[in-house]
Amino acid sequence: MKRHLFLILMLMVGLGLMALYLFWQNPGPYIIWQVRVPRLILTLVSGMSLAAIGSVYQLMLGNPLAEPYILGVSSGSAFGSILFASLGMIILMPLGGFIGAIITMLLVWRLAQKRGSFDPQRLIIAGVIVGMFFSSAISLMMYLNRQDTVLILGTLMGNLGRIFSYTEYRVFLALSSLVIGLLGWIYLKSRALDILSSSDLYAASVGIEVERLRRQLFFASSLIVGIVVSYAGIIGFVGLITPHIMRLMGYKNQKQIFPMGAIFGASFLLVADFFAKNLSGIELPVGVITAAIGCPFFIYLLLRK
Amino acid sequence: MRYFFGMVISCLMLFIGACSNSREEQGSIVVLSPETAEIIAALGAADEISGLTRECTYPPELADKTIVGDFGAIDKELVLGLSPKLVFASGLEQEALAMDIEKLGIKVHKSYPKTIADLLQEIVVIGGLIGKEKQAIALRDSLAGAIQEIKLANTGKTRPKVYLEIYRDPLMSVGDDSFVGELIELAGGDNVFDRLERDYSRVKAEQVILANPDIMICYSRDSRASISARKGWDRIPAIAQQRIFTEEDLDPDLIQRAGPRIIAGISKMADIFEQWRTFGK
Repeated sequence: MKRHLFLILMLMVGLGLMALYLFWQNPGPYIIWQVRVPRLILTLVSGMSLAAIGSVYQLMLGNPLAEPYILGVSSGSAFGSILFASLGMIILMPLGGFIGAIITMLLVWRLAQKRGSFDPQRLIIAGVIVGMFFSSAISLMMYLNRQDTVLILGTLMGNLGRIFSYTEYRVFLALSSLVIGLLGWIYLKSRALDILSSSDLYAASVGIEVERLRRQLFFASSLIVGIVVSYAGIIGFVGLITPHIMRLMGYKNQKQIFPMGAIFGASFLLVADFFAKNLSGIELPVGVITAAIGCPFFIYLLLRK
Repeated sequence: MRYFFGMVISCLMLFIGACSNSREEQGSIVVLSPETAEIIAALGAADEISGLTRECTYPPELADKTIVGDFGAIDKELVLGLSPKLVFASGLEQEALAMDIEKLGIKVHKSYPKTIADLLQEIVVIGGLIGKEKQAIALRDSLAGAIQEIKLANTGKTRPKVYLEIYRDPLMSVGDDSFVGELIELAGGDNVFDRLERDYSRVKAEQVILANPDIMICYSRDSRASISARKGWDRIPAIAQQRIFTEEDLDPDLIQRAGPRIIAGISKMADIFEQWRTFGK
């Protein structure tokens, strides 16, 4: 009963936040439709994806520190975006990010295999190493292309204020639908994922095709992270803390943590972006705000429980 | 043992001698900032420059000088190798570098004019440092005269609203307090961002749309077609009427470098604004 109340409360708060986000300082219907609605969709999709994928990775990799960027896909995607931008193709940045994410995803998966079998530890190591490689490549590009420093920092610290062209926006809506479809599919695998997190042997004994499930989850989640990073850059903290907050709230299994985390992540990022936009005269990088709000909130919850 | 000490002392003396020799040969200047290079060349002292950064591309007579690195990444050994009597550096990332060079005993002059008044003053200071006082005063007076003329010519005229974009993702523009903002106002335009937290700062797309600029100067490497396709931007008069000016129409160096060529930059902008008054309104 308490949890149901919490869900209703969160949905109401979420809706209130959306209204505030859209109508703040009453800019008129044109601005709301043309500028704020696209940004709202990007924020919601990014927030829910990061939180949901965070919970999947923490279970799949058996590591409470896992977050959506741990498997290197984000660095690969950011590298792809930045590479395209530094080649003068700023409007094709999402495409660059997407290609970067796909290449990294395949590379990490290949490195994680050991004579046909799968090892979660190996996957983390492969992800971290590939991620570090692309991070150093980004640093090198930042050093060499001084004129692109602002753009690179925007990608590395999160930028939800992307300017869409009409065509780009349609592509973005299509990809967002794909993300939501994939998240729905991952949600359906929640129970299997819970079982998988206890042990491979047990999962196999109850009829789960362990290898296949892991592969599918890895590719689906990497695709989601790739799409999100392509459009919003790297926004830290949401994916790491949201699943923990859900656990602290008393949600035990993935079937609850996944959807509740998605709603919480979307609302949390909405608040963070609202502050990023309006806190000072200059728009602040949203990644800074997520950490600034998220850390004290997380500590508060940790101390209370 | 005595031989050993003798050798050490001889080596030391040779080393000190070599160092003092190289100091005696000093005479040239090294310029790290493109705008200062333009000022020095305009004062007729291009010959005295021995080293430059890659960005110092104007005037063409500087092309054969030694390159000591990029604006933000300078090879200190190359600078030292030229044994300069004076190094001209800029602000921003060159501040730390200037301190490093100063520690090596070389005189460094930092110059980063933020307003036209600063620029006029700086010209005289630079002239004094390189022994071209008279030329510097003449250059300052001629620039001040030209600026006054432009100011008078634009008095009382309708001012088009101007949006200058430095960056697309994230969106960045200039405030009135910036050097470029001052130039826009002087040329008879009205920069849409009166006040920004910083001279060059992030802005929101909705602020640009609401400001409804008549003219857009775009230095963000975006194409006209792509700007016109931006969601929600097509109603902006500058975009609807295709009054978008890019690097090809207005060389950014003419208005972003605080040097003598700003007069050409202001005049070019004034022409663009005049066209708007005649045909655009």
